[in-house]
Amino acid sequence: MKPLRLPPVLTAPGIRRLGLADVAILCLLGGAIAALVAFAREFEAPFRQAVQIDLRPSALPRYTLYSLARGVIALAISYLFALGFGWAAAKSRAAERVLLPMLDILQSIPVLGFLPGLVLGLMSLFPTRNIGLELAAILMIFTAQAWNLALSFYNSLKTLPDALRDACKVAGWRASRTFWQLEVPAAAQGLVWNGMLSMAGGWFFLMVNEAFRLGDRDFRLPGVGSYMSVALDQGNVPAMALAMLAMVAMIVSVDQLVWRPLVVWVEKFRLDETSGGEGGAPTSWVLEFLRHARLPRRAALLQRRAYRTARRAARPFERPLAIAGPVILRGPRFALGHPVARWVGGALLALGVALAAALGAWQIWLLLRHLGARDWGALLGSAALTFGRVMGAVILSTAWALPAGVLIGRSPRIARLLQPVIQVVASFPAPMLFPLVVLAFQRAGVGLGLGAVALMVLAGQWYILFNVISAVAAIPEQLKDAANAFQLPRLARWRSLYLPAAFPALVTGWVTAAGGAWNGSIVAEYIEAGGTLRTTPGLGSLISDATARANFPLLAGGIVLMSLIVVGWNRFVWRALAGWAQTRFGMAQ
Amino acid sequence: MTPGPVLLEGRHVTQRFRLPNGQVLEALRDVSLSVCEHEVVALVGPSGCGKSTLLRLFAGLARPAEGTVEYRGRPLDGVLGAAAMVFQSFALLPWFTVTENVAMGLEARGVDGAVRRDAVARAINLVGLDGFEQAYPKELSGGMKQRVGFARALAVAPEILLMDEPFGALDPLTAENLRSQVVDLWRDQSTGVNTLVVVTHSVEEAVFLAGRIVVFGSHPGHVREVLVNPIPYPRQERTPEFEAMVDRLHAVLTATLLPEPAPAAPQRLIPFPRVHVSEVTGLLDHLLTRPDGKGHVFELAEDLGVDYDRMTAVVRGAEQLGWVTTPGEIVQLTLAGREVMAMADSARKDAARARLKKHPLFGRIIAMLTENEGAVEDEEVLADITIYFPFIPAESLFQTIVEWGRYAELLDHDAAAERLMLAEAVEGTSDVRAD
Repeated sequence: MKPLRLPPVLTAPGIRRLGLADVAILCLLGGAIAALVAFAREFEAPFRQAVQIDLRPSALPRYTLYSLARGVIALAISYLFALGFGWAAAKSRAAERVLLPMLDILQSIPVLGFLPGLVLGLMSLFPTRNIGLELAAILMIFTAQAWNLALSFYNSLKTLPDALRDACKVAGWRASRTFWQLEVPAAAQGLVWNGMLSMAGGWFFLMVNEAFRLGDRDFRLPGVGSYMSVALDQGNVPAMALAMLAMVAMIVSVDQLVWRPLVVWVEKFRLDETSGGEGGAPTSWVLEFLRHARLPRRAALLQRRAYRTARRAARPFERPLAIAGPVILRGPRFALGHPVARWVGGALLALGVALAAALGAWQIWLLLRHLGARDWGALLGSAALTFGRVMGAVILSTAWALPAGVLIGRSPRIARLLQPVIQVVASFPAPMLFPLVVLAFQRAGVGLGLGAVALMVLAGQWYILFNVISAVAAIPEQLKDAANAFQLPRLARWRSLYLPAAFPALVTGWVTAAGGAWNGSIVAEYIEAGGTLRTTPGLGSLISDATARANFPLLAGGIVLMSLIVVGWNRFVWRALAGWAQTRFGMAQ
Repeated sequence: MTPGPVLLEGRHVTQRFRLPNGQVLEALRDVSLSVCEHEVVALVGPSGCGKSTLLRLFAGLARPAEGTVEYRGRPLDGVLGAAAMVFQSFALLPWFTVTENVAMGLEARGVDGAVRRDAVARAINLVGLDGFEQAYPKELSGGMKQRVGFARALAVAPEILLMDEPFGALDPLTAENLRSQVVDLWRDQSTGVNTLVVVTHSVEEAVFLAGRIVVFGSHPGHVREVLVNPIPYPRQERTPEFEAMVDRLHAVLTATLLPEPAPAAPQRLIPFPRVHVSEVTGLLDHLLTRPDGKGHVFELAEDLGVDYDRMTAVVRGAEQLGWVTTPGEIVQLTLAGREVMAMADSARKDAARARLKKHPLFGRIIAMLTENEGAVEDEEVLADITIYFPFIPAESLFQTIVEWGRYAELLDHDAAAERLMLAEAVEGTSDVRAD
């Protein structure tokens, strides 16, 4: 049986101990919320007619390309962010202490809640054009893509063998060359696999990003997401089906044309030499085609020549720079090297962060002050409801995804067959299905109170499935042989081999799935389908409702509360569980 | 070749590291060592003695915490351009071809175009890798990979070649072959390399290569002794003078690794070496097969296929249990050792338990546990160990204690709760504190 290459198990977010840095970051975040809201209120943008969405099928390819372009631009920004962020966190211990908790928190808070403030703020910067709205949409996609990329790059940098770094230093490589020729290639595998996941994650809020209402204003961007939402508004079933088809077509073609070739290509950058060998590595027909084609090779040659010419042309400028550089840098270098200067600098930095955090806390307090006891009561009550739904969704997802994941993961043949299919299905933005699911539930007589749980399952289940598949597929062959040799009965085999082996990855899946479910609650508890609005009490619908009614204090309160619950739960419950799972069931010996 | 003026000099170098658990480990303390032109210097000593650390300091890859490293009388500022380095793990970039790997150091030294191609071709030719120019490292065997490592170092025509256990990851045949080629390269004036510094684990390798052999001691790393090796090059391994030099180095290493116990302080806490139960019984088993139950420590290492560093650790473990004695370089099975080997498994455990209870370190830990109703958090034990043995990574010593404690049914450990406990059998026994 050929070995199978599967994506690595996701790194668990939020399993760090709660520290002072977290408090500072939470305060800063509060400040950001308050600032965005204040900004939006200050500069009330003039009301503009929303873009008219054309529901004819001929318009759909254009819309799909618009949406794709947003995703790609956001991904490019995410990659830049990941490289900078990961590098800073891996190189400087001080940066690491602030950046890592920040990453944890940013990836576990409900980003969707920030959309209204962001849109209003950016709209007021560019009042006459759609640029503000476009920027807001791209930023929202970015927030769904960036964090796991940054974490992946950081992890690769941290696990790079010292000898390789030393070899580059001894060769006299500058930091920039080491970065592009050692550090980035070494991280390439993780960056590509995570890029694939990020792209899928970025589609999740496609519909909301492209079309949403704030108070009496209707914000709309041309795209397949807004196409779908208009089709839903009008109850136009053929248009809905077309939009979904377009979405699937886009996901499949991006997978085949971009990700498959990339995944195959980055095999070259494996650091460990346990290569899949004959046929174990994935294949891509597009990459084969490109490799056999003449034109790309010609282009590469030309590009290399152009690069060389440019380098040669730049040489006269390099020399003075090389001479002047150290002289100019002498001051800063001395300052950084001197212990007193370092201490003062560090103290100033810490003071700055503390001040900004205090300001943030004060600002958010000013906003939250408007909330009365009844508001808080409503907030806490709906938070409890949504919490129950999130846990229900996690349990339901586990109930099907754990057995399914074990079944798929233990058979390389099934895994190879199903993996591409699951990947495409998982990339499909679940909220697009929400209205249909809700209508189906309505027909079956189930209200949104329970229906929302099913929707949140849609939002979180894949993380569990993927993680279980990867973990089970990674069980050492000899352990399976041992189970066969001792003729372990089926039940015992599950109890003593598959489930314990999958457990650490399962916990990681829970963390991510719960995060997805919290995020999903914002769209799952507040749905417009077939022209009617359906809501059910919960924190998600409270946030959506506050957005729709432009009730900023309540919106801020909702976001703050949800962030606190998610971060707190991550830090205290998931963290303990993940630590226990790792020491008890980890494969490392 | 006679040594010329001083090239590299470390003066009163001290280096420290912070371990992930926060413990600060002193890797080198007050080490002064100079390397002269036309010299081959070997750095030998037990693992953790800081010899690799010193090599990295010489390369300018790290700065010493205290003291200075000078090249031709001037303090190093950053990486030493006159040196190239060869690594035990080869450290080749997997996504670079052989040619690209070999060319790594040339660009930064301003070598370009045709000159660069020539230098790369020459270096590849020197190590005999012609025909493999476009291969990727994963297509090469270990020996060939290290040839690429040497070619990369030679391509920049360095004055000094620093080697960190360059043959450590190779099989013995390949290592021997490459070793004599290194001597040839050094003697060959055209390569530009005139000074070698090599870190090694192998006594034969040090004697084969070096004109001066620096023996390090550990905890913290320091220079114990410097041996001059006057055998003319090229050296032959089986000659009497070679054997005599190997014996001399053995003697020095034994004095370093198996010091005669200091009689004045019997109750002084000594760390238990990081060895497994099976290794100690394996040694005793092997000694039983020998006439009089004794053997030379380096012969034993060779017979059992482990390096001398590991062997001496096992011997020290057996010695602390009273099962062997070490007069000089000889390891002698004691009466107690013979008795233990004649016992059945459970009786052997009882014997080990009786011995360990008298061991100062285990005795201290048992006392600590008894005072705390039989259980103590790992962290407390670790903190205690760190205070007594600041130069030893506490985690690994702790694991050794747990392993031996479990074997002798003295101690038990709950990994999930991170607590060390007295095994039930010993709880309440009064003889624990009686000794």
